[in-house]
Amino acid sequence: MKKVIMKVNGISHQFIVEPDRILLDLLREDLRLTGAKQSCDRKGQCGACMVIVNGKTTLSCLTKVASLDGAEVITVEGLGTPANPHLIQEAFVLSGAVQCGFCIPGMIMATKGLLDKNLNPTTEEIKKALRGNLCRCTGYVKIIDAVNLAARFLRGETTPDQVRPDPSKGVIGVSLPRPSGMIKACGVAQFGADIYPQGALELAVVRSPHAHALIKSIDTSAAEKMPGVVGVMTAKDIKGNNRGGEIFIICDKKVHLVGDTVAVVAAETRKQALEAVKAVRVEYEPLPVIKTIEESLAEGAIQIHEDVPNLKFTHPQIKGDAEAALKNSHAVVEATFSTSMIHQAPLEPEVSVAYMEGEGEDAKLVVLGRGINIHALAKVLQDSLGWENVRYEEPFVGGQFGMKTGFTTEGIAGAAALHFRRPVRYVCSLEESMQISSKRHPHVHKVRLGANEQGKITAYTTNFDVEGGAYSLGGQVYILRSLQMLSGPYDIPNVKAFARLYKTNNASGGAARGAGPPQSNYALESAVDLMARKLGMDPWEFRYKNTLEVGGTMSTGEVAEEWPAKDVLEALKPHYDRAVKEAASLKTGKLRRGVGIAGAAFGIGAPNPKDQATVAVELHPDGGLTVYGGAADPGEGTDSMLTQIASHVTGIDISKIRLVTRDTDRATPCGSASASRITYMVGGALVLAVEKMKEAMEEAKAYTYEALVAAGKPTKYLATKHADTTPMDPKTGQGIFYEVRVLGCQMAEVEVNTETGEVRIVHMTAVEDIGTVINPTNVEGQMQGGLDMGVGMALREEYIHGVTKDWRTFKFPTMKTSFPMTVITLQTPRKKAPLGAIGVGEFVLLPTSAAVMNAIHDATGVRIYDLPAKPERVLAALGKNKN
Amino acid sequence: MAEGEVSALGTRKRFIAGKEILFDKEGFFLDARDWSEEAATVLSREMGIDVLSEKQWRLIRFLRDYYANNGKAPLSSEIKAGLGWTLMELESLFPGGIRLGARLLAGLPNPQSCTQ
Repeated sequence: MKKVIMKVNGISHQFIVEPDRILLDLLREDLRLTGAKQSCDRKGQCGACMVIVNGKTTLSCLTKVASLDGAEVITVEGLGTPANPHLIQEAFVLSGAVQCGFCIPGMIMATKGLLDKNLNPTTEEIKKALRGNLCRCTGYVKIIDAVNLAARFLRGETTPDQVRPDPSKGVIGVSLPRPSGMIKACGVAQFGADIYPQGALELAVVRSPHAHALIKSIDTSAAEKMPGVVGVMTAKDIKGNNRGGEIFIICDKKVHLVGDTVAVVAAETRKQALEAVKAVRVEYEPLPVIKTIEESLAEGAIQIHEDVPNLKFTHPQIKGDAEAALKNSHAVVEATFSTSMIHQAPLEPEVSVAYMEGEGEDAKLVVLGRGINIHALAKVLQDSLGWENVRYEEPFVGGQFGMKTGFTTEGIAGAAALHFRRPVRYVCSLEESMQISSKRHPHVHKVRLGANEQGKITAYTTNFDVEGGAYSLGGQVYILRSLQMLSGPYDIPNVKAFARLYKTNNASGGAARGAGPPQSNYALESAVDLMARKLGMDPWEFRYKNTLEVGGTMSTGEVAEEWPAKDVLEALKPHYDRAVKEAASLKTGKLRRGVGIAGAAFGIGAPNPKDQATVAVELHPDGGLTVYGGAADPGEGTDSMLTQIASHVTGIDISKIRLVTRDTDRATPCGSASASRITYMVGGALVLAVEKMKEAMEEAKAYTYEALVAAGKPTKYLATKHADTTPMDPKTGQGIFYEVRVLGCQMAEVEVNTETGEVRIVHMTAVEDIGTVINPTNVEGQMQGGLDMGVGMALREEYIHGVTKDWRTFKFPTMKTSFPMTVITLQTPRKKAPLGAIGVGEFVLLPTSAAVMNAIHDATGVRIYDLPAKPERVLAALGKNKN
Repeated sequence: MAEGEVSALGTRKRFIAGKEILFDKEGFFLDARDWSEEAATVLSREMGIDVLSEKQWRLIRFLRDYYANNGKAPLSSEIKAGLGWTLMELESLFPGGIRLGARLLAGLPNPQSCTQ
């Protein structure tokens, strides 16, 4: 042990620590400071733990406390508080740099370290100073904006009050700071791992080293005797059906992928629990491992799940007669495109906390999970654990991008709290989080696209295979979404598609930003580009000529009612002309410039029929209004949307709008915070609830809380927004699936190094029409982060189970890979939408990959068919592959 | 989709009491507005209940009222508090217990989920 005396945020502390005690753990566990975050398994890869030690930015996850005797440590909590924030914290909030907020304390400390030395940094200097800080939400654009604004504040050129939006301008179309921004910037917003119920046990999990095996026996006796261990759970200790969809909370007879849960250890400390995991003896009988579609569908192949065939699901789509149309077409392109498995990569590792509230048969299991559909996850817990009295709460969540529609740690934490009757914390490592969470499904599309002599598309066919992995989390849903948006923004009179979802012993497929359509739109938009080239037409002209018009039909048979596809192309045109001109002289030599475009149409709402969301509003004696609605906010800005709409439609000052969105007891069910549906569905329900309240006020001529009470009227009103949609016809893939859509297009300008195969994004331009914009900064932030993610999908990101273990092996986007981008937003109000507004979070992913691949083709004359376009693939396409 | 046909997500379309109604894969109403006493009666017969008793109707009405006021189904502890019955009484009132019996007949939908 060693005695260390040091100051933390100006207060002197004495610590007596083991030589290996890490500063990050001391700050979080001993001082209960929540600003410094753990993401990268203490490998110094993410910067979320950054603090300042003796005036220098320092990664607290790599710093031993024993080396800090006499040191002065400043964490983000030492800069300012929500009531009295530091100018850097103000700058991050006002710039819209705070989305999920998990990386922000580290970003702010890195900024402090930079600006303490250099108050006039260039963009390159900012990028260098923050190069070790990762962010998945923003694409780094607003982070850089925030550093520049902080510098302006600190130089005295402006003040937060001068930058803050003018309250007289109203609340719609105004970039008001998001309500949760400042507590995140000050490091005091509680994420899952920041919550320590009194007396909580720490959990660790025995995970399968086999991809497919029978569990022959489990011996927990040695582990149970180890120091601090309270007990070890196996599947037999779970009273419910032990399933969340296909997933087993704890496997009973068989494991289906590397990392499956086999037993759960509860101990007084995490270290003790992890030590005891090593002492659990499990005997396995390995089974054949299914890795490919051929192995999965081979005659006599072993069935991975007893109750699910390996070919889990198929679905067709038929519009017109595509085969006949192709036969009669002037030109046909035929190609196969594939996309990779991708980790959604929220920065926060998986985590859940659980405890029992009350006693006896009415005791309530409270689970603080990480999911974004709190009422549905509460139901999964009820069924899987056999305990009806459940409350699901959502702490602050550090990003999700589709991944947290699924079910992971909450089942284990809930089961352990019930079994041990003690509060529990289950905080995963990053490696474990990657193993247990779902991934973006890889697709293989075999497509044919036909066109006539006039350059009009005649037909499109695609047979596509989707790998569902070991536990498919809604894989069939994402196939339906692909079919629902298959024809993109185009007028395609004849369509034939057939999709197959197959199982392997690989990582599970699940929701990932866009959830299906980014993969299928990549295939469509690549084929469209190939056709334009084949016909000798300009890609922009070809797209413009083939856009669907109002009154035309999509591949689903739905009639386009609002379809500003030509508008977005027209908005892109001057940028496209400029880019093509600039690239024209850079087509030879080592570095070659290319321009590619792609479009998309994205349906807003859940893909299942009769989507609905319920919201309640309650008026209070102080004139304030509470909005109740279980709409999760893992960073998209739900809090901004709800408060701004509520203030606008009631006229109540936004400071008096309160939200209750995070627990199933108090909030009404709103469904999943996915499918870009929250603004349309939940915002829509909010408007309906306020209308009900206003009708009651008019009826009674009572316009205040007191007057309503005096008139005998309720002060709380509830309304449900229903989407009038249908199931998909199982034979034709036809139906009514969405009431509103986003239309847009994107342009990639790339520079390809023909000697190394590296592709540099010179600029991305995105145009989208999303109806009325409620908060322009939030919309821009969604688009910028999405563009960064889309470029990652195109050029770098690939998850390989067992190999991809951390942010470096995942090739997480960094300041170094960030690029300039322009976002252009058109606002055609949608008639059915609340105030004309819809969502944008996922649309952005649809065109990006194809735009980048089309740009590479333009630059080099060769096509990359398989994503990502890694340097070796580019070189191979150029005929320069050494292998 | 035709009568009785099941969609990819397990949605089943049925005509009950002269109305087209969509049910989820567990047999719950997709839309609580499609419910009627007549529909509940038809479904209860399929559950093996010849005639719904006054006590059964009381629970169904309690669930409907709770749903109308809160937008969700009550927990069993809330039903106990509301009706003053024991959990055992409540669970034994319908063949499928509170959830698969009473709640299903009361037309209260399951929470919406994208990951079926």
